[in-house]
Amino acid sequence: MWRTLQRALVVTIAGAVLGLAANAVSPRRIPYIAPPVVNVPSDFIPFDEAQALWRSGEAIFLDARAPADYAAGHIGNAFNVPAENFDAHYSPVAGMLTPASRIVTYCDGLECDLSHHLTDRLRQLGYTNVHILKNGWTVWRNAGLATSTGGQP
Amino acid sequence: MKWFNFILRLGLGGFFIYAGVEKIIDPAGFAKSIGNYKMLPLDGVNLLAITLPWIEVLGGGLLAIGVWRRGNALLIAGLLIVFIVAVGSAMHRGLNIECGCTGTVGGQKVGFTKIFENLGLLAVAGWLIWKEKE
Repeated sequence: MWRTLQRALVVTIAGAVLGLAANAVSPRRIPYIAPPVVNVPSDFIPFDEAQALWRSGEAIFLDARAPADYAAGHIGNAFNVPAENFDAHYSPVAGMLTPASRIVTYCDGLECDLSHHLTDRLRQLGYTNVHILKNGWTVWRNAGLATSTGGQP
Repeated sequence: MKWFNFILRLGLGGFFIYAGVEKIIDPAGFAKSIGNYKMLPLDGVNLLAITLPWIEVLGGGLLAIGVWRRGNALLIAGLLIVFIVAVGSAMHRGLNIECGCTGTVGGQKVGFTKIFENLGLLAVAGWLIWKEKE
């Protein structure tokens, strides 16, 4: 058993060394220590700003949650583009957007990362003005602002 | 028995090769997946994203071709235990995140399915540690 353990450790170390070496020459290398790309705070839009954009109709709101959650209740006029199934839901809203369109994405819960995924996808497609309303559904509903239910905005 | 173990080694090793290669193809995406678990200090996230896939590929590959069979089965069992703990911990904390288990393509969410899958793989690894020759 001792030899088994030793060999497991040797392979672990060899694999790690291989990985470190491969990363040095890989075209997809990532920094060894620097934190991975995280959403910086400026990605978030303050609640009052989001509210103003919604009232003026300047921004389009995109709900990143699954269709069932969206149907159970969503921000008024928000369109559903589930981050999990982006391609199928993106095309209907694509016609309403230009690269400079103001877009506010949201999901629900402080830990929810669906809005981040959706924002990443939109940015990859060239949209430059995308912001996340953190904990969006909860703060919107708790503030008593316009909401709707069902599968349509 | 020899054939049975051969097929198990091929299956388990092959799965780890696949899982590792998917992550090697997209290191930045895998780093993000690890970061989502919020279990490591940010400094450690990239190091793990760089090294873990190669450990999976090397361990899986050696197991599949029959080199150091018990050692590599033990290595894979160890990895699976870490994965089960990580997924369980994420579920316990109510994180609704991608598993990152086999790369970011067609991502599976963390959940009981993943834990049972890993327990199944762990049983195979345990069997190989028990029955295979050194």
